[in-house]
Amino acid sequence: MSETLRQSLDLSLFWEYRYTVLAGLAQNIYVFLASAALALTLALFVGLSRVSRHRALRILSTGYAELFRNTPEFVLLIWVYYVLPILISKLLAAKFSLSPFLAAVLALGVAYSGFLSETVRAGIQSIPRGHVEAGLSLGMSRFTILRRIVIPQAIRRMLPEALSQFVSLFKATSIVSLVAVPDIMYQVSMINVDQMRPLPLYTGAALLFCLVIIAATQSINILSDRWRKRGWA
Amino acid sequence: MIAPTLSPASTGGPILRCSNVRKSFGANEVLRGISFEIPAGSVLTIIGASGSGKSTLLRCLNHLEQPTSGEVYLDGEPMGVRIKPNGTRVPDKAANIARKRAQIGMVFQQFNLWPHMTALQNVTEALIQVKGLDRAKAADLGRNTLAKVNLLEKADDYPARLSGGQQQRVAIARALAMAPKVMLFDEATSSLDPELTGEVLEVMRQLAQEGMTMVVVTHEMGFAREVSDRVIFLHEGQIDQDGTPEEVFVKPTSERCRRFLSSALS
Ligand SMILES: Nc1ncnc2c1ncn2[C@@H]1O[C@H](COP(=O)(O)OP(=O)(O)OP(=O)(O)O)[C@@H](O)[C@H]1O
Ligand SMILES: [Mg+2]
Repeated sequence: MSETLRQSLDLSLFWEYRYTVLAGLAQNIYVFLASAALALTLALFVGLSRVSRHRALRILSTGYAELFRNTPEFVLLIWVYYVLPILISKLLAAKFSLSPFLAAVLALGVAYSGFLSETVRAGIQSIPRGHVEAGLSLGMSRFTILRRIVIPQAIRRMLPEALSQFVSLFKATSIVSLVAVPDIMYQVSMINVDQMRPLPLYTGAALLFCLVIIAATQSINILSDRWRKRGWA
Repeated sequence: MIAPTLSPASTGGPILRCSNVRKSFGANEVLRGISFEIPAGSVLTIIGASGSGKSTLLRCLNHLEQPTSGEVYLDGEPMGVRIKPNGTRVPDKAANIARKRAQIGMVFQQFNLWPHMTALQNVTEALIQVKGLDRAKAADLGRNTLAKVNLLEKADDYPARLSGGQQQRVAIARALAMAPKVMLFDEATSSLDPELTGEVLEVMRQLAQEGMTMVVVTHEMGFAREVSDRVIFLHEGQIDQDGTPEEVFVKPTSERCRRFLSSALS
């Protein structure tokens, strides 16, 4: 019994397939980078709209954030991959489909823009009103104040929170195999079909995810420490 | 006088003029018809109890608050409104308001320095972004101005590393570097430890002596008496007593003003 356990935990099988597994991991990283960029861009606009002086913008953006924060990523992914193309096809009266990769990026990007916009809103609102008034009193435009005074400070305050959102986003990339993006989970389950040894394969995948996240978190911590030392944060 | 404080040529009339300014927040009427003129090179001090509307009045002068009615004129030009050929008044464009604000320096009780920028960067930011100076010129002017408030050696420090008095002097330099026509001080020393107020008052005193036009809200009665050309006592949004420091501090005719002064001086 303990012999079977030892064998099934033996990571050498995982090592044997390292190139396939790494190719899978690369897919996770691509999906992560693309959806993180999308999420950040959307979150900046939505977050700014949420503190806008225009009521309509505030209402719309709050609705957007609430909608996507409260829809499970899994449901969103399935919806974007299967339902959205049908709707668009009807609309265009022409055939339309999304590649698995695009669907994954779109679904995760939009989902996390909901979370991140909340972080952006909180970050912007944490900047004292007096900093803005100082800028206004010197004749700066609202846009210049936003760009030079508010956003640079807000980003530093948002960093820890945003970092944990990005960690979740990276973890969430593990669901993209459901729409057949050839990511690490997809590759591992394919290998498992051949080898029938799920334990070492999935354990290896879990360890790899963990390793990547720890490495990323550590390097960002070092960076923000450096910022703090300069008296910024 | 050093270059940064040189004001642009003015038209010869009052630098600032308030004409029947009223301001309400909802049902609360905070300013009830304020009028005065500030001649070039003079120092006007505004005193009054907490909540009497001193800050609101200062903020109306540079349009951080929009008066509910009445007008503020900067060097003869109305602030914040445009008068159309047919005589009607419409809110001015944001860019025009900003252009006028750039000519009015303001110093806040809470300093409001930008913590992600060094002292020098705080001073040069508006020179670059508003006046369009190139970095080298802005840095030169910034250093000169920091030298004027005796903080040249702190140019590259972030605000978090400066004392309150030092931060407030950087804030003064930041406003001063823009070569404003007038400077507004809203309780510039009120959030400082007593031992740090002196260095800030000293800078303000020096500015007054150099002929800077100033509007000062302060609880430092001794300072007010010494540097002011004119003192206004504000009570519930109205000018209750108005005159030379002598007239207001030594022989106030208003009973309210007398009581305020005796409580402020004790
Ligand atoms: N933005 C605002 N919204 C609503 N009410 C305001 C606002 N700003 C000021 N007020 C009210 O206006 C009144 C005058 O406030 P102001 O800050 O001008 O007084 P002050 O004379 O500067 O007092 P202090 O000596 O405490 O600074 C107060 O009753 C205050 O509550
Ligand atoms: Mg006040």
